[in-house]
Amino acid sequence: MEAVIDVKGVEKMYRRKVHALRGVDLQVGAGEIFGLLGPNGAGKSTLVKVLLTVISPTKCTGTMLGSKIGTKSALAQVGYLPEHHNFPQYLTSRQVLRHFGAMAGVERKARNKRADELLEIVNMSEWATHKLGSYSKGMRQRVGIAQALMNDPKLVILDEPTDGVDPIGRRDIREILLRLRDEGRTVFLNSHLLSELEMVCDRVAIMVHGLMRQQGTIDELTADRSGFVITAATQMKSESLDAAKNAVRGSSARSKTHARS
Amino acid sequence: MILMQTKAIFIDAYRELNAKKLFWLTLGLNVIAVALFASIGINERGFTILFWTFDGLFNTSIMSRETFYKFEFVTWGVPIWLSWGTVILALVSTSGIIPDLVSGGTIEPILSKPIGRIRLFLTKYLTGLLFVAAQILVFSTGCFLVLGIRAGAWEFGLFLAIPIIIAYFSYLFSFCVLIGIVTRSTITALLLTIVFWLFVFVVHIADVSMVAERERTAIALENAPAMVESQERFAQKRIEQLIEQGKPIPGQNGEPLPSGKVDSLEAINPTLKTARQKMIDAQRSFDSRNTWASRVYTLKLILPKTQETIGLLERNLIASDELDGFINMLNGLEDGDDNPDNELGERIDAVYSARTTIWILGTSFIFEIILLGLSTIIFVRRDF
Repeated sequence: MEAVIDVKGVEKMYRRKVHALRGVDLQVGAGEIFGLLGPNGAGKSTLVKVLLTVISPTKCTGTMLGSKIGTKSALAQVGYLPEHHNFPQYLTSRQVLRHFGAMAGVERKARNKRADELLEIVNMSEWATHKLGSYSKGMRQRVGIAQALMNDPKLVILDEPTDGVDPIGRRDIREILLRLRDEGRTVFLNSHLLSELEMVCDRVAIMVHGLMRQQGTIDELTADRSGFVITAATQMKSESLDAAKNAVRGSSARSKTHARS
Repeated sequence: MILMQTKAIFIDAYRELNAKKLFWLTLGLNVIAVALFASIGINERGFTILFWTFDGLFNTSIMSRETFYKFEFVTWGVPIWLSWGTVILALVSTSGIIPDLVSGGTIEPILSKPIGRIRLFLTKYLTGLLFVAAQILVFSTGCFLVLGIRAGAWEFGLFLAIPIIIAYFSYLFSFCVLIGIVTRSTITALLLTIVFWLFVFVVHIADVSMVAERERTAIALENAPAMVESQERFAQKRIEQLIEQGKPIPGQNGEPLPSGKVDSLEAINPTLKTARQKMIDAQRSFDSRNTWASRVYTLKLILPKTQETIGLLERNLIASDELDGFINMLNGLEDGDDNPDNELGERIDAVYSARTTIWILGTSFIFEIILLGLSTIIFVRRDF
């Protein structure tokens, strides 16, 4: 599979103290929905920002869409929705799309046409002339996704796109993501919620503490069932302890309990 | 693509200012200032406001209508309205440009577009200057029309106000941008810029005072030797008279000197001692003033020359002899009379004339370029 993102040994250290990325290797294939999963603070957003030149890496080698990371030719083919975006409140959604279309180098006629098409796709046509200040979080998220698509990108990077969005909005966003894949685009999805990724992603990588722990399809990752060893020290009475043991044994995870009473 | 992105940034800046209502508010205030400018005039009888004439000495015999409007433009239009009123409004309007740009959630989608950080930053900086340019263009055009219609003089020199005020504002804006990029706070950037502006103004006042004091003491120092020589000649003449009369001369031929006198001349002429002391005092006074003037000058050298930049407009708009009648009227002099303060005034003028346009703008732009360069480096290197 042709790699849209192919980076090796990405490192980011802040002020020689905080090691946000500790040598990340990542390959994302063309035409797939790739999910990057990890808890808050794992370094997911930092990795994405490094790819998009928002953050300068301490070390990074590799390519994005065939060009060196950070080149204008690569960025011209990427659409990006940051996690906590703050598009100008004084603009209407149509103005936001046209503005970012112009910033991405889309010609005037094309961007006017595409802005209206995208507003239709994200179900925001009726709000096209309303200012963002009057939008709900979900509506802003839809506009944000449309903004990321203004330059007809080959690669779409969405950082927590469903954050703060209601269930219907989430479903709509998932449908948009699937539609993007069907159009042949590559979608890179950042999330800390497995449930969000497993419904749409072809492949998922798990990132913890700035390191890529595992990569593969959802099936591959769930096939190797791993578990946890729980060690507990308690002053519980024996009958309460037995009840607790039974409860743990009854769960799907394999567990081993060492109790000391 | 470069033009498209630049245009998009400018349009966005306009929309932002428009949303804050400050663009139109400032524009409206500029129109009111022009209306005030037009409502005041001068005729053969005296000073006019709208349709009323106030008879008096201040009439067209002292100053032509053309000079009056140019004088009005350079004495309050530019130094009061444009360089204070408009600049304060412009700072309030534009101080948020960089802090807003680098705020979380705003900068990331912009940086992910194919635009270089240096170009993005400098274009944003230019949007601030463009705001001021638009405001000054309105004011200058209004004043140009007033001067043309009311005085019959179509003075294109008024439009010099546009580059001059932009330069003036750009010195302050470069400071505002640096604070904005460092602190990411609009209010901090605005307040510190105003403090800096006042500091520059105080240094300017100190410079003016020190130069005036230095020149005053220099005149006193230059006049002192002549006074001493005059007193010495008087004493010498007196000694010769005493010799002719065969009388004793203190300090000569074994005659004692009175206490506190250094020679026969001082003993004969007590005023000589005072004159000599005045010369020593004048030298001390000059040395002290000169040292302080040099220190203030050094400080001023590295700071932007805000007041001198504004002064360039006056230099270029009004010929020095055009205001002679008015200046004499203020001093209560008839035409042809010598102003007693002329020597000091001329010496001070000579000091400031030696500070050429290139020196004023050059040193100020060096300051601006350094600050802007620092801001750009911070912006380019910063992680968002």
